Amino acid sequence: MARIKFESVSKRYPNGFTALDDLNLDIQDKEFLVLLGPSGCGKSTTLNMIAGLEDISDGNLFFDGTVVNAVPPHQRDVAMVFQSYALYPHKSVYENIAFGLRMRKHPKDEIDQRVRDAAKRLEIEHLLERRPTQLSGGQRQRVALGRAMVRQPAVFLMDEPLSNLDAALRISTRAEIKQLHQVMQTTFVYVTHDQSEALTLADRIVVMRDGVVQQIGTPDAIYEQPHNMFVASFLGNPPINYLDGQLAVDNGAVTFRRGALSLLIPPESAGKLAAFAGREVTIGIRAEDVSEHGTPPAGQALGGRITSVLPVGSDNFLEIDVEGKQLFFRVGKEAHHKDGDNTVLTVNVNRLHVFDKQDGQSLIWQKVQA
Amino acid sequence: MHTASLGRRALLLAASFAFLAYVLAPIAWLVSSSFQSESEITSKPPHWVPHHPTIENFAAIFTAKDRVVTYATRKDGDPATGGFIPSTAKYLLPSMRNSFIVAFAVVVLNLLVSIPAAYAMAKIRFIGRSTSIYFMLATRVIPDIALVVPFFLVIRKLGLLDNLLSLVITYLAITVPFSVFVLLSYFESLPDELDKAARVDGCSRLQTLIRVFLPLAVPSLVAVVLFTFLTSWNEFLLALMFTQTPVSQTMPVIVASFTSDFTISFSFINAAGVLAIIPPVILAIMFERYIVSGLTAGAVKG
Repeated sequence: MARIKFESVSKRYPNGFTALDDLNLDIQDKEFLVLLGPSGCGKSTTLNMIAGLEDISDGNLFFDGTVVNAVPPHQRDVAMVFQSYALYPHKSVYENIAFGLRMRKHPKDEIDQRVRDAAKRLEIEHLLERRPTQLSGGQRQRVALGRAMVRQPAVFLMDEPLSNLDAALRISTRAEIKQLHQVMQTTFVYVTHDQSEALTLADRIVVMRDGVVQQIGTPDAIYEQPHNMFVASFLGNPPINYLDGQLAVDNGAVTFRRGALSLLIPPESAGKLAAFAGREVTIGIRAEDVSEHGTPPAGQALGGRITSVLPVGSDNFLEIDVEGKQLFFRVGKEAHHKDGDNTVLTVNVNRLHVFDKQDGQSLIWQKVQA
Repeated sequence: MHTASLGRRALLLAASFAFLAYVLAPIAWLVSSSFQSESEITSKPPHWVPHHPTIENFAAIFTAKDRVVTYATRKDGDPATGGFIPSTAKYLLPSMRNSFIVAFAVVVLNLLVSIPAAYAMAKIRFIGRSTSIYFMLATRVIPDIALVVPFFLVIRKLGLLDNLLSLVITYLAITVPFSVFVLLSYFESLPDELDKAARVDGCSRLQTLIRVFLPLAVPSLVAVVLFTFLTSWNEFLLALMFTQTPVSQTMPVIVASFTSDFTISFSFINAAGVLAIIPPVILAIMFERYIVSGLTAGAVKG
């Protein structure tokens, strides 16, 4: 049980580098919160602060309403799983898992019970007597999970726990972590640079860049209503397409124009954009937000020459030259496209993203303080 | 191809034996001559295997305390039988005890200081961290002899001349930087995440050090213990300066005094030499399997 609150928290190093700048974040009890961003964005710093492993330069950190800035890690009720697993090389698997409980002076038989329960749940019972060096990467990962699990902590912290696993194992372990969260009924804070992990696991995602929070929201909100171009391009695979152009307003109808291309902005968004007539903007179209069925209605047609067709099994990826810019779309396999063909796709204009070309902020999804 | 590698191996083997002989010959002669009488040692040609082995040299060491050797009585013992002993002979055993006390104290205090220091420098980012590491290492490039006079003045001011404490203090000054350096490079090679994991698991800094880092650092600790013990056991220059009476004189000082006595007894000196190398040899045999890995631990990794 823990609600964690960051209040204007900053981290500055003596050499002047700011790792974290004015973080305000309220993590609910039992929430699964994912900190997402490229390396060096401050996400691990944030996690280490919750664990007590990193000093806070400015601001306050609360656990259930109590300031814990100066509480050392061993007096906080947190458990952590590390990217390198950080198992104790000189201890057996059993002792690795039991160590945290021993340090907290739990009775012997209770420790034994908890270690064996965790081992059973993680299917590592047969490994209990081994040393970490005798385990595979996936097994080590499970031991690290077990070590955190038996503690039954108020807060469960994970620092890129899946990064060192191979692709198949990463997907299956992801599902197990989600299950673990449901079973343990405790607050999870999870750091990753992998957007698909974040989208799968999170109740809420915090997107960070250069120590500054870019957006906080549910996976759907982050994906569908990105507040700026960084967030929009950090999530989604293949990445979102950007196209520079101008907004034109005519009788209340807002259109995006670039050369011969003209896309009609739907009325819901048009209201917000009417004030930006003549503004240089960048629109974002996700690869999946087009279709190739039927004749496109006016204001939704996107025509261009196919420069390459990349089959990926389930779909085809098309690279299309639109008004001098290469765009990347995902389409069905039915239409047999060939390199050099001209094609016209229908854009789902309801899902268009419009950003200010200067500062990259969304003109539709205004930044709301979370 | 095959013959070439065979020749190569033979050459390596021969070279190894040559090297081994070069290293071991003085020790073999020391041991062998400690069982020979004075006349046998000085006979020509010298022989490696004693013709008339005698333990009288060792017996002389252990019975020396009952005998008073003066200029007048210096020839009472017959050099030809090995019964001839130096006037300071009775101080040999007490001096070995002194050496042992000093070496033991230095080893213990050295570990108490250098382990926490190395851990802090390796895992805690404090202001002045790298400066202190460089400063500490810089002390290692100063030759001991340059420090003798300043050390002497300090020891005199402290009133510790002719006191074992003077040796403990100065030997610590010499050995601690090296110990910190060895342990520091090992602790630095252990991942930071291990430190973090232990602390999240409920260890304070000190518990992290004792329960996680030390068990992993055993080879480096052994290297440090050996180095410290041997340095203290063998040190001569400072001991010669700071100790004046048998109360505090250590084994190297006493053994050296045998060479400046009324007459020199090679057989007795060699027997004393054998006794002097026994403790280090025992220590080396005890920790043999850790020695090589300990000395190279920090150097190879990272």
